[in-house]
Amino acid sequence: MIALMDFLTVFTQPELLLLVGLGTFAGIYVGAIPGLSVTMAVSILISFTFSWDVYPAISLMIGIYMGGVYGGSRTAILLNIPGAPSAIATALDGYPMAKRGEAGTAIGVTTVMSFIGGFVGIGVLALAAPLVSEFALKFQPRDYMLLAILGILLVGSLSQGSLVKGIFAGALGIAIGAVGRDPLTFAERFTFDFQLLEGGISFIAVMIGMFGVSEALLQLHHVDKDAVRQKITRIVPSLATVKKHLPLSLQTSTIGVTIGALPGTGGDIAALMAYDHAKRVTKNPERPFGDGAMEGLVAPETANNSAVGGAFIPMMTLGIPGDAVTAIMIGALFIHGLNPGPMLMIDQPDMFWFIVGCLVMANIFMLIFGLTGIKLFTRIVEMPRSVLIPLIMLLSIVGAYAVNNSVTDVYWMLGFGVFGYFMRHYGYPLGPVILGVILSRLLDDNWRRAIISEREDLGRFFEGIVTSPLSLVLFVSVILIFVSQTPLWSKAKARIFKDGKAKS
Amino acid sequence: MEHIDPEHHDGTSDATPGGEVDKRRPGELFFSAFLLIASLFLLSSAFGIENPFGPNGFSSPRSIPLATTAVMVFSSALVLFKTARLPLDRAETIAKDILPPVVLVFAMFLVLYGVVLRPLGFLPTSALFLIAAIKILAKRNWVWTLTVSLGSLIAIWLIFRIVFSVLMPAGIVPEAEFIQFFRDLSNGGAEQ
Amino acid sequence: MKRMIVGALSAFALTATAAIAEYPEKEIQGIIQWGAGGSTDTVMRSVTPHAEEALGGTVVMQNMTGAVGAIALNHVAGSEADGYTILMGAENPMLYKIMGLGDKDYGEFTPISILARGTPVLVAHPDAPFNDYAGMIAYVKENPGEVRFGSTGPGGLPSVITAMINAVEGELDVTAVPYDGDGPALTGLQGGAIDVMPAVLGASIEGIRAGNMKVLAIMDTAANDKLPDAPFVTQFNEGYNTYLPWGPFFGVFTPKGTPDDVVAKLVDAYSTAAQNPDFVQLMDDRGFTLMGIGGDEADAFLTKWQQGTAWLLQDAGLTKASPEEFGIARP
Repeated sequence: MIALMDFLTVFTQPELLLLVGLGTFAGIYVGAIPGLSVTMAVSILISFTFSWDVYPAISLMIGIYMGGVYGGSRTAILLNIPGAPSAIATALDGYPMAKRGEAGTAIGVTTVMSFIGGFVGIGVLALAAPLVSEFALKFQPRDYMLLAILGILLVGSLSQGSLVKGIFAGALGIAIGAVGRDPLTFAERFTFDFQLLEGGISFIAVMIGMFGVSEALLQLHHVDKDAVRQKITRIVPSLATVKKHLPLSLQTSTIGVTIGALPGTGGDIAALMAYDHAKRVTKNPERPFGDGAMEGLVAPETANNSAVGGAFIPMMTLGIPGDAVTAIMIGALFIHGLNPGPMLMIDQPDMFWFIVGCLVMANIFMLIFGLTGIKLFTRIVEMPRSVLIPLIMLLSIVGAYAVNNSVTDVYWMLGFGVFGYFMRHYGYPLGPVILGVILSRLLDDNWRRAIISEREDLGRFFEGIVTSPLSLVLFVSVILIFVSQTPLWSKAKARIFKDGKAKS
Repeated sequence: MEHIDPEHHDGTSDATPGGEVDKRRPGELFFSAFLLIASLFLLSSAFGIENPFGPNGFSSPRSIPLATTAVMVFSSALVLFKTARLPLDRAETIAKDILPPVVLVFAMFLVLYGVVLRPLGFLPTSALFLIAAIKILAKRNWVWTLTVSLGSLIAIWLIFRIVFSVLMPAGIVPEAEFIQFFRDLSNGGAEQ
Repeated sequence: MKRMIVGALSAFALTATAAIAEYPEKEIQGIIQWGAGGSTDTVMRSVTPHAEEALGGTVVMQNMTGAVGAIALNHVAGSEADGYTILMGAENPMLYKIMGLGDKDYGEFTPISILARGTPVLVAHPDAPFNDYAGMIAYVKENPGEVRFGSTGPGGLPSVITAMINAVEGELDVTAVPYDGDGPALTGLQGGAIDVMPAVLGASIEGIRAGNMKVLAIMDTAANDKLPDAPFVTQFNEGYNTYLPWGPFFGVFTPKGTPDDVVAKLVDAYSTAAQNPDFVQLMDDRGFTLMGIGGDEADAFLTKWQQGTAWLLQDAGLTKASPEEFGIARP
């Protein structure tokens, strides 16, 4: 009963309600602009809300977080430039829809699906947080490593066209992620004795360059063509559409919550894995994936929003951040005199229920703002290209700089922009590069942690995999997915099905 | 996959890269060769990574870089081999389809931007860039060009500099003093 | 309106030319060496608003990460020594030189304030087959190589504590599993990926209170107010008296050559801020020992800290270059 009261706090105080709304609204724009990240916004809010009470401060942060995760999809759909890493997969099918003038529909579906995903995440947080966090803690370094390999196998579904080129792109991404001083031993890797390389290459800079600048350069080819007129009559998807995608969205939301709850992995990986899952389970999409398949929007968007609730799970139950944003929120709670940790749920359960309430509210606001402000957003694509292209370039520059306040990142961003332009021309997919950069540290650090823990003994390493149920499941999935991508499997499958038919 | 000609469709999404399946685009062979050479270079660099505090076993900082650059070398070699066997697409030329003059001009703009950013500062550099870029692309009159470019620059500056306090290189513009002046102004106003 | 703009512009021209006005006449950039959400970030973001008040100016804080903080350090060291760019960091730059991470350390800076010091503590997974420091040492000796210690890379707090243990107890055969920070390592500890972690008290105190990890010993010469019942390490072995008390610290620095009056103002602002009850409370909650020292006192503290730690690591064979090369005297 008391829990219910705490849960309802945010609904009964207009001031808090307003702050959540304001945060969500701002978050959508923060998320939509590549380079402005939720992490940045929330850490600035720490100083900004320093003298406030803890409730209003948290309300505003949660609003920004929820809105920001969703906002990344906007520019992904409209401009093919994901506003945040978690929206990379959204661009794959969202942008083809916008090219057909169906941006309205795409945004509508995205919004409703983000809303559903958000609720699944919040639901799991509210009902099963202790259970999930206990499960998340079970992940050992070798499990994270297997998870990273599972992620790398997504290269197959992210690269249409040549698989070899996709593999190259993925490996390149992992190499980019390794540049700089190795965080575990401080060895210099690929730095060629340049001091400016020691800090590594920010993956946001790579993303902005490859998606933003290279897209802008490519658009220069047809600067004089009129922009596609967007139909925005039908935004809210029909009940039938929602119903049709409900089973998929529940599956991908589960992926989102789980990946979100694991410390060290977040919405970006969750969205890519969900996209891959959708591709695997959807037998007959209305349009092929990569060409505007609705499922290609549903999966990543449910997953990245359900990862928000997931990220709060270890934060609220253990004081362990689920991702970068919750890490900053833990800091904020400290500054406001709370002690986030395993005891928070026991000492101050009101905080838990208040946060759940805020998340629910932010999710509702996201739906409202998401479905209403579309006209303004679609205007962006209808702007003359002659203005849009220079603006994209300038925003990319500022965005790359903002990540770590470093001019070096701007140079990298520009370099990868030009490189990405050539990659696009010659049929190299860009998604795998970003995937590689995201997973590089996860793979590298955890492989080394795992093998060091076994004292460099491969035998003991595999023994560990076989004896732990969790590792075994992950290992078998890796093998299965790997085999299913090789030509051998398609041949075998064809034969099995043929036999089956012949027998029946 | 059907051939996508960049002249006749508007933008290629990442999911459908602009390469051709059965033909070699101009410059493609050179690009694949470049990737192979770069990969070989990175592989040799990966061999040079030393574990400063221990042996170079499985857990060495070199192990993953070595594996991934090896994959890069193999895959780029395979791509090069495949590409070399494809017939060249004679309908396309580098100057028309891969690097038309306008792209070259913009690539040059971006390089120049990077060079002048630090000495000149964010505001002047960006103003010059936007004005030049929009004038070249839109071919409209100066009043329109200046309004649009400076207007959007101010909007971007306000968002990033004021709201998000991202301190872009100030260069020759005494931004901080300027902002402090307005801060004092508003503080003074509040106190009176 | 027009008059206001003209006024603004002329005043603007004035401030731009007449640079010698009252410090601070524009906002100050505070470069935080570590990422958002880390301990350094939290401490700096909670003390600086109080310092702003005392200073009557604005400090814009930015995180600049990479190369274990060396990127930020080099950035501030290379910027103008006018008090408008200050560095907010932790203890590790004092070890950059001997770790081969760079050729600069806090020697290039004037300390404004050493805000607080942390107390290291040895924690273990609750199911670990030992319950205190003595039990752990005995277990490690019986099962060489089996106990996994968390580490945060060479020069990090765990490596210094492990070096200390080796110096006092003789070489112990443990497996050091590297993590990129004490947060992830403590997560690993709770999940059973590692058995023992030398961590700073502030990072582990909530986990200890909840019983998710157990204290083997506080690495200090006396009991701690936060955990009065926990044993401290000199109870087990007097040998630690040589090295303790030791702990990581947080500080604010400005490049050497900053005008004295500017330094004085900053020192004043930050020592006032460090006394603010809110900040004192926060430091206490997180188990940090408040210091708030500046000037010569801070210089002396830094020198002593560097000598002790550098030679400890040198003797443990964990350095890339001898402290002697950099004129760091043996304590």
